[in-house]
Amino acid sequence: MSLQKTSLRSLEYLLTFLLIITLNFALPRLMPGDPFLHLSGEAGEIVEGYTDQQRKYFLEYYGLNRPVTEQYWRYLSEVARGNLGFSYYYKEPVLVIIARRLPWTLFLVATATVLSLIFGILLGSYSAWRRGYWQDKMLYLIMVVFGEIPAFLIGLALLILLAAGIGLFPLAGAITHFARYTSSWDRIKDILHHAALPALTLSLTRTSGIYLLVRNSLGTILARDYMRTARAKGLAEPRIRYRHALRNALLPLVTRVALQMGAMVGGAVLVENVFVYPGLGRLMRDAVLVRDYPLLQGIFLVLAISVMGTNYLADLLYRYLDPRTRTTDVMNACGRGTYGKTEPSGL
Amino acid sequence: MEKPSLLGCNAVIRYIKGVWGQLGLFGKISLIILLNLVLMAVFAPYLTRHPHHVSSGPPLVPPGAGHLLGTDDLGVDLWSMICFGARVSLMVGLFTALLAGLGGGIAGIIAAYRGGWPDRVLMRIVDIMVVLPDLPVMIVLAVFFGSSLHNIIIVLALFSWSMPARLIRSQALALKEQAYIKIAAHYGAGMGHLFFRHFLPELFPLMMVSMIRLAGMAIVTEASLSFLGLGDPTSRSWGLIINHAVSFRGIYFTPFWKWWLVYPWIFLTLLVSSLALLGRDLEGIADPRIMK
Repeated sequence: MSLQKTSLRSLEYLLTFLLIITLNFALPRLMPGDPFLHLSGEAGEIVEGYTDQQRKYFLEYYGLNRPVTEQYWRYLSEVARGNLGFSYYYKEPVLVIIARRLPWTLFLVATATVLSLIFGILLGSYSAWRRGYWQDKMLYLIMVVFGEIPAFLIGLALLILLAAGIGLFPLAGAITHFARYTSSWDRIKDILHHAALPALTLSLTRTSGIYLLVRNSLGTILARDYMRTARAKGLAEPRIRYRHALRNALLPLVTRVALQMGAMVGGAVLVENVFVYPGLGRLMRDAVLVRDYPLLQGIFLVLAISVMGTNYLADLLYRYLDPRTRTTDVMNACGRGTYGKTEPSGL
Repeated sequence: MEKPSLLGCNAVIRYIKGVWGQLGLFGKISLIILLNLVLMAVFAPYLTRHPHHVSSGPPLVPPGAGHLLGTDDLGVDLWSMICFGARVSLMVGLFTALLAGLGGGIAGIIAAYRGGWPDRVLMRIVDIMVVLPDLPVMIVLAVFFGSSLHNIIIVLALFSWSMPARLIRSQALALKEQAYIKIAAHYGAGMGHLFFRHFLPELFPLMMVSMIRLAGMAIVTEASLSFLGLGDPTSRSWGLIINHAVSFRGIYFTPFWKWWLVYPWIFLTLLVSSLALLGRDLEGIADPRIMK
C-alpha cells in the first residue's frame, strides 16, 4: 500500500516534470511570428530578411524541418544532457549563466525560509498560547494582511524607509562594487549587509502562512487529552509547551514549507528586482527585457525543477518523520491548497 | 443562514444587511474602502481634470494645487493615472475571479458529484497546479503570448481555478451525503436539477468568498507582472506606474519617489489588504467551522 502510494506520487511528479518540459518545448513553436525574425535581433536593430535559400539552410540547421515528434525527442535528450541552449544576448551557454546566478537566489531563498520559520513558529505559538486575547487577535490580523501584500510592495516599503530614508542598508546589489576587503570576514559582512533587506522582505511575506499553520495546529493540540494528562502529571509548563505540544505541531510544517516553495520562488523573483539582487529573478527580468527566449526558458526550467524537487523531498521526509501517514495521503493530511487556512493533521 | 433569492429585491437587500451586520470592524472598513475604490474607477473621468495618458504639465512636479498628486517624468498627472489605473486592477480582479471562480466551482461540484475518473483526473490536475511555481510560469507565458490585458486575465484564470475547485469539491462531497440530496436523487432528480436547485445555491456563498480571494490574488499578480515590466503597456495599471518609477535612474537619490512611488504604493496596498480582510471576514460567515 505504502509503496504503491509512493510510486503514485513519483509518477505524478514525473508527469508534472514532463508537462513543464513539454510547455518549454511547445511555447516557441506556438508563438506567433517567424523565428528567423528574432535570430539577428537586439531590440531596435534593423532586421534583415532572409532569402529562401538561407531560410532553408537554417531550417535544416536547426532541425526545424523534421517531424515534431523527432524534434521533441531531440529536445528531451538535449535537456537530459544539461544542454539548455545558447543565450543570444549574453553569447554564452544558458546553463553557464544560470550556474553563475543561481547561488544568489539559493542563498536568498534559504535564508528567507529559515527566517520565516523562526518568525512563524515564534509568533504562531505565542498566538496559540494567548488564544482569544487581544495579542492573538492583533497578530492574526496583521498576519492576514501581510500574507496578502505582494513581496514587491513590502520590499519597496522597506527600501524606501530603511535604505532610501535613513540609509541603514544599501539600495541595490549583492556586494559593494570594486570593494577591496581586508579579510574574508569583511566580505561576508558586506554580503550579509546587502542580503539583509531582500531576505527580510521575502521572509516577511512567507511568515504568515507558517504562522497560521502553527497557530491552528497548536490550537487543536492544546485541546487534546494528552495535554491534560501532561498537566495532571505536574510537568513543568515549558516542558508541556515545547516537548509535548510544539513538537507535534511542527510536523505539518515540513510539507507547508515545501508547498510554499513555489510562492517563495515567485516572491524571490520580485524581491530580487526590487533590490536589484543579481540572482535568477533579476536575470529573468533582464531576459524578458531583451527577449532572450532560450535564457528565459532555461531559468524557468531550473526554477520549476527546484520547486518540484523540494516538494518531492518533503513528501519523502514527511513519510519518514510521521509513521501515521505511511498509509494516508500526505497532501490531504495537510489540507493543502485551502487558502492557507490549513486544517492541522488531526489523524 | 438565509439563501439569496435571485428574484426578490427585498430579499437581496435583507441579505446584504445581514452580511453587513455579521462583518467585523475591519471587514466593514475594508468594504467601505473597496466601495470607494470602485467608485473612483467608475467615475474616473469626472474625478480628474487632467488626461491620464498624455502629458499635462511639467515633469516631476510635486503634489500641489495644479496636480493633486504631482506628475511623473513625462508630466502625466499622477492622480489621473491612479484613477484610471484602478479600472485596470479592478477589471483584472473581477474577470479573473468570475472565470476562475465559476469555472473552478463548477468543476469541483461535478467532480464531487460524479466521482470516479472525472474526480481523479481533476484532483491530479489540481495537484500539479499546486506544485507549479505560478509567477515564473506566468512570466514565460506573458512573454511568449504577449501581455495584453485579456491575455493576462486568461493566464491568471488558468492558474487560479484550482483553489476554488478544491475547496468547492470538498464541500460538495460533504453535501452529497446529506439526506435531502440523496432523497432528491432517489426521486429521480437529474444532475442538472441537483446542480441548480441544491448544489449551486448551497455552495454559492462559498464561491463568492473564494471569488473575493481570487480577485485579490489576481490583482496582486497583475501588479507583480506589471512591476516586472510585463503589464499591458497600453493600460496604465498601478503596477506599471511603480515599474516606471523604479526604472527611473537614481530615483532614490531624488525626492521624486515621495509621490511617484508612494501614492501608487498606498493605493495598491489599500486595495489588496482590504480585499484580504473582507475575504477573511466573509469566509468566517460562509463557513462557520473556520475558527476565528
